[in-house]
Amino acid sequence: MSMFTRNEKASDTNTDETVRPPRETPAAPPAPAAARPAQPVAQPLSRPSQAPGVSVISKSLKITGQLESTEDIRIDGEVEGDVRGVSVTVGNGAKVKGTVYGNAVELAGTIEGKIEAEKVVLTSTAHMSGDVLHRDIRIESGAFIDGHCRPGYGKSEAKPVYSAPKPVATSMGLAAKPSDAALKT
Amino acid sequence: MAVPVNFRNRLAGHRRCVHYRQWAGGGSGTDGPFIMTTPPLRTFRTTPRDRTDAEFPASVLGTAFTAEGFLDTDGDLHIHGRVIGRVCADRLVLGSGGYLEGDVIARDVHIGGRLTGRIFALNVTLESSADVTGRIFHHEVTVEKGARVDARMPWRPPSYFETLVQLPEPRQ
Repeated sequence: MSMFTRNEKASDTNTDETVRPPRETPAAPPAPAAARPAQPVAQPLSRPSQAPGVSVISKSLKITGQLESTEDIRIDGEVEGDVRGVSVTVGNGAKVKGTVYGNAVELAGTIEGKIEAEKVVLTSTAHMSGDVLHRDIRIESGAFIDGHCRPGYGKSEAKPVYSAPKPVATSMGLAAKPSDAALKT
Repeated sequence: MAVPVNFRNRLAGHRRCVHYRQWAGGGSGTDGPFIMTTPPLRTFRTTPRDRTDAEFPASVLGTAFTAEGFLDTDGDLHIHGRVIGRVCADRLVLGSGGYLEGDVIARDVHIGGRLTGRIFALNVTLESSADVTGRIFHHEVTVEKGARVDARMPWRPPSYFETLVQLPEPRQ
């Protein structure tokens, strides 16, 4: 036992020694602390304490165009265009015109368009006009839905959230016109 | 002001993106099933309104966020991600890691990130981490030490911003 305790003590002293150098650096703070009051009181707005990964589109914001995020998106405003995110929440009173892609989509507002997501939740205030492509869906009582619910997410034409742009583009908008022309000729 | 980068198909998107010039000009960005029309320019109030955060909560676009298009709000807008297009807001804050390409119309503008485009604002603050290329139409401007500014800064009276209905054509 005594050996163990001795060893422990030894290790303790060792750690103390290893800790000591940092302890010397904290001796420095007085100087920055003294310098702190000299800095402007108002912190720059552009440097928040933490750069947020989650995006919030508040109710007064209207976006016409496409959104994409590799993190969560919460929409309380209005979006005209496609939305791509990991977890997309469309809040009560929010409106989206376009396709919403994501791993998880929760709808409490209005979507006119499509949902393509692995996990879809339509809450009681949801208003969905358009198709829902899902793998796992939950519809609460009171939700409005006008469209097909198909469990085809991840199959056929459904694309994963982040795919190479090329094949997608050819399947949808870009090559549509040439192929149409080819069909006519 | 040059919009140097052609950001066609920049996103892993399905629809072809229209060049910003086209949006800013005619707004005939009709391509495929998605029809994008230029929304009318939303001018801001020149007098600070009695802001209630409940009425106009701030929008925050995170670091992982990318948007292309028109962003219009009566409240605050914080951009820490990447935005290409026109932004109208009461107060715009571009975070130090943010990137914005396009025109900004706002009452207050705080830039801490990279901006390529034009600013139309009463009060402009360029923080030390700012990197601005373009034009800054302002009434009052503050540039912190360390900011990188490659821009003309024309002064305009407040009436200019009140009567701003259409943005001037971008000059080379």
